[in-house]
Amino acid sequence: MNDVDPDDLESLMAIDAKAEIDRILSFIRDVTEGLRRTSVVVGLSGGIDSAVTASLCVEALGRDRVVGVVLPERDSSPESERLASEHAERLGIEVVKRDITPILESIGTYRMRDAVVKKIMGDVPEGSVMSLVQPKGLLETGSLGIYRIKLTTPGGEVREKRLNREGLRGIISSTNTKQRTRMMMLYLEAEKRGSLVGGTTNRTETLLGFFVKYGDGGVDIEPLSHLYKTQVYEIARYLEVPKAIIERAPSPDTFPDTVTDEDFYFRMDYPTLDRILLAWELGLSPERTGAFMGRDPKQIERAFEDARKKYEFTKHLREMPYSIPHSLKDEFRVPGPGK
Amino acid sequence: MSEIKMKVREFLKNNYPYSAGIADIKDTDSLMDRGILDSTAVLEILEFLEETFQIRIEDDEVIPDNLDSLERIESFLISKGVGT
Repeated sequence: MNDVDPDDLESLMAIDAKAEIDRILSFIRDVTEGLRRTSVVVGLSGGIDSAVTASLCVEALGRDRVVGVVLPERDSSPESERLASEHAERLGIEVVKRDITPILESIGTYRMRDAVVKKIMGDVPEGSVMSLVQPKGLLETGSLGIYRIKLTTPGGEVREKRLNREGLRGIISSTNTKQRTRMMMLYLEAEKRGSLVGGTTNRTETLLGFFVKYGDGGVDIEPLSHLYKTQVYEIARYLEVPKAIIERAPSPDTFPDTVTDEDFYFRMDYPTLDRILLAWELGLSPERTGAFMGRDPKQIERAFEDARKKYEFTKHLREMPYSIPHSLKDEFRVPGPGK
Repeated sequence: MSEIKMKVREFLKNNYPYSAGIADIKDTDSLMDRGILDSTAVLEILEFLEETFQIRIEDDEVIPDNLDSLERIESFLISKGVGT
């Protein structure tokens, strides 16, 4: 790294895929052995991160020691289930498939969310589909992130309305039961087999808190959390993950209508976001980052600020529960900026 | 102190007591630097401003220049015809 110009974000973002894969394979083997386990269960969503994680686990442990779990629900795309199942079949791993819709119905996931949608939007024609979106233009205008419900009627009419605080909390809390139910199902399958649960969260998501605590963040091992999304794509290409998975737009896949990660949370595309995050982590100035990326430093400043804000607000998601230390010698750890 | 600033200050004090020194917040203090303006709080502040001052705030007006401090909020509201 020393011979790399710190401003050269492309060089810093680039990885030697083969060497990186070897490093991850050792990591998976070491953790599995260290925890005296022999197998891993991976939830397959039909997206790139879970496909790469499953492929890496198969490389590390062998196909007989990896189980793919496919957990569709009423709102997830049928294509997700198809791509996940096909990838598992290609890898030759055992697949467990279970529709979690009845569990979510019993929790009240859909009912609670739909009640919020109806309250905010008023008339909701039968068969309408919704998602949450944020405005574009973070870089260009520095607009603050505000969530809107996007409703598409069966006739193709698109209506949008800004959420209020209670509405946002209502939709997010009910929707997060999907990831948390999946976590429960993954541990069910893992504990039956004495396996670990393999996580699929990448560095971009980890840094900005784009995961659900005790949901998709509730796992035993995270083979991708040191890699930006852009780097996960490089690994995917090297591992020859199916093109249909690589080329698919990343999406939370938790709303009836399709929404991309970009429109739902990040407000910019992954290649731009990852380079900005890398520069931010390296402590580069907006001026130098802007010069390299061909963007106005003001835009970079806005993106840094947004990253800092998301990082701070989601800090607790990345940490173990705060607790009183077991040893009197330890300092009491309290949450707070910079701690 | 203007009525706008007084009402907003009161709102901030009641809703974000965890922000250190919020009771003595200065007119120019950045709400973002104070860790207040997250995605939920933005909606909360918009709702408060729209209801209290009977205005409609458009999405493209939701920028730090308009909302990041008491002073900016006041200027923004005045530009929307509040208190005139």
